Amino acid sequence: MIRFLLSLFTPFRWFIEKMGADYNQFIHILRLKLTLDDRRVNQFSKKKENAQGKTLMKQALFQIVMGIFFALFVILVKSPFTFYYFSHTFIMVMMAMMIISEFTTILFDTSENAIIQPLPIKGNTINLARNTHIFLYLLLMAFNLSVLTFIVACFKFGVFSGLIFLFTIFLNVLFTLFLTNILYLGIMRIASGERLKNMLMYFQVIIAIVFMAAYQIGVKMVDRTEISNMILPIHWYTYLLPPAFFSGLTEAISTLTFDTSHLIFVAEALIIPPLAIFFTGKYLTPIFNRKLMDLEQGDRVSKVKIETQVNSLYYRIMASIFVRRQEEQAAFKMMWKMTGRERQFKQTFLPTLGYILIMVIAPNLGKKENLNEIIQGDSYLLILYVFMIIGFTVCNSLLIGKNQASTWIFISLPLSSPADFFKGTIKATFAKFFVPFYLAIGTLLTALWGIKILPDVIIVFLFIYLGTLLTYYLQQPGFPFSIEKMAAQGGSNVMKMFGLMALTAALGFIHYLMGQWFTGANLLLIPIYAGAIVYVNRTMVYKMITWKAVDQVNNFS
Amino acid sequence: MHNQAIVEIHNLQKKYGQKQVLHGIDLTIASGQIIGYIGPNGAGKSTTVKILCGLISEFQGQITIFGKDLRTQTLEIKRQVGYIPENAVLYESLTPMEFMEFIGEMRGLGTEQTRQKAEALMNIFEMKPNLHQRIATFSKGMRQKVLICSALLHNPDLIFMDEPLSGLDANSVIMVKEMLIHLAREGKTVFYSSHLMDVVEKISDRIILIDQGKVIADGSFDELNKHSNDDNLEKMFTRLTGNTNHGEKAEAFINAFEK
Repeated sequence: MIRFLLSLFTPFRWFIEKMGADYNQFIHILRLKLTLDDRRVNQFSKKKENAQGKTLMKQALFQIVMGIFFALFVILVKSPFTFYYFSHTFIMVMMAMMIISEFTTILFDTSENAIIQPLPIKGNTINLARNTHIFLYLLLMAFNLSVLTFIVACFKFGVFSGLIFLFTIFLNVLFTLFLTNILYLGIMRIASGERLKNMLMYFQVIIAIVFMAAYQIGVKMVDRTEISNMILPIHWYTYLLPPAFFSGLTEAISTLTFDTSHLIFVAEALIIPPLAIFFTGKYLTPIFNRKLMDLEQGDRVSKVKIETQVNSLYYRIMASIFVRRQEEQAAFKMMWKMTGRERQFKQTFLPTLGYILIMVIAPNLGKKENLNEIIQGDSYLLILYVFMIIGFTVCNSLLIGKNQASTWIFISLPLSSPADFFKGTIKATFAKFFVPFYLAIGTLLTALWGIKILPDVIIVFLFIYLGTLLTYYLQQPGFPFSIEKMAAQGGSNVMKMFGLMALTAALGFIHYLMGQWFTGANLLLIPIYAGAIVYVNRTMVYKMITWKAVDQVNNFS
Repeated sequence: MHNQAIVEIHNLQKKYGQKQVLHGIDLTIASGQIIGYIGPNGAGKSTTVKILCGLISEFQGQITIFGKDLRTQTLEIKRQVGYIPENAVLYESLTPMEFMEFIGEMRGLGTEQTRQKAEALMNIFEMKPNLHQRIATFSKGMRQKVLICSALLHNPDLIFMDEPLSGLDANSVIMVKEMLIHLAREGKTVFYSSHLMDVVEKISDRIILIDQGKVIADGSFDELNKHSNDDNLEKMFTRLTGNTNHGEKAEAFINAFEK
């Protein structure tokens, strides 16, 4: 696959050299980057030893399958403009997601600088290789996602129209690359060093929430019966939307329609992306690389922050409620601090808080009931159970990080079992990230629905605490922040998560039924859940979290 | 306490997959000594240290430390042992104080006691001003100092050190060497694995040389040098490990890259 991809550049040798790069060095750098990508640990190859290539191929298959789902959605659309508009929007959204989740690391990776910078390679060659690498990755992704859409387009609007669509994907990727550069340069202009990394993390969190909101609310708003006849109206601002450039160009050429609107789209699609990429190569990339070098240097000389000790009243109250044994207390304190500092943890976990808000709001959109009517029903139960998502996400997020090599410390300590450390870890995270939000929503709902729902608020609290403990103890028992993101989010963890989600739904339903049965019947759940929590914390955890089990994840021996 | 046998190793063997790393090591180590444990790369030094610290639990042979069986009484042994690993990989988002508090509390020390000790130990390394800065901002030497302090927090009777001076500045190296000598005088035992021959020669009461997983020399420098005329440990090391043709190798190396 890599050889094939590299061979695609042979006809463009003159162009690459025209851009001021050394062709041979350019190919060597690109080969190195692609080889590293191919061996990268991700969801397609969880263990390093299995990551001997083929990652790109597996990733391609995954993207093709995702494209099939999208094609099934647009297959109904009759208007070519609308069809291509949706397709380009889908591609851009997926590329944005990809850039956010994967390429931020690659864009800001300065590790290769230590290897490549001392070599006699021109800046132009390095810059071109870097951008080509990202471009290639995005282009492959865009084509893979569009395989079925392309086939559908060929059948619906003709092969010629399909081929024009492929060409516009190429233009779309060029434009997205430009947008990415602009966006990141903008962020780098206002911050540097640690602050920049934190800003990027929060930026990623916000984007993730926005996508989730757009998806949830968008799905809610779209009337599926109207999709087939949908024709997007063209307003003045439509000319500013990149997917419209490309869909306009495709429709214009494939249907030979050249009215004013279409001519504007054709001009935009053909002129803006090449100009943008010329501008990127000529002006943006050198600035970007300079900023990147500053970033690397900045990190070394950045002002050292003095950390304060944990002594807040809230921390002390939580510690006194949740932990007893000394090992647990030590872990509780350590994790209280680390969860606030580990960037990857925050990046994975924080969007959940936004998702909860969306999941509470989205189902109520478009409803005609007012607040008084809503509080007559039992919808508070659903709102409370939505908070279980925090429990599910926090457990998985705790695994993710780059501290694999730091876990030696645990095995060197005189701990008879790692279970107490795990207990302290999950309790600190639960107390820090769940309890305050739940207290706030519980108080709000009790104020709205009345004191009569207080037992339900307590029952759901106990249930979520129990569910969180079970999720954490049943997933891969790795020390906190010691597993790469993709390896943590997959395989048996996903299956167990689905199982626990189904269990949550079932038990939530039983809770609801008990409430309907007779007054006070739901109170029976309190001793049941409390007893289960005691059992899980005192017995089950020591059976589940053993040195042997942890060793299988963190590989000490 | 001095000169009691505190570590007894009998026929220690270790395999990684098919590769035999240790081929039957027999040693008895007395208290109050500094043991210099040396050998070429891949000789099995770090593996021996990790086994003795309880980091690797699968091995063949018999090991008793403080009269306790390492297989069955690992925890009791770990309570009396300090370990400084070769690579100073620490939780970077913590500060040294937070890291040491965690270590101290896990070892059963009180928070206040740990804080006082951490402060005192770090002060000796002139790192008191860095106590509340994140480890991520530290140089390799600073991280190594944090590791040394953490390993000594609980006042262990036996200290395993795997290249402890790695990355330390000259003053700190001298300080650590002096510290080791003092610890040995107090009856502590230091098992010191290193490539730095001059340091091992100067501070060790006993030198153990291993090569390809076997002990090939064992004794004080004077004892080992009784039947030969090596000026220093470095020369003895090269002779015993069969690598005396360094000049020829250097010449071949130069020829290879000049061609």
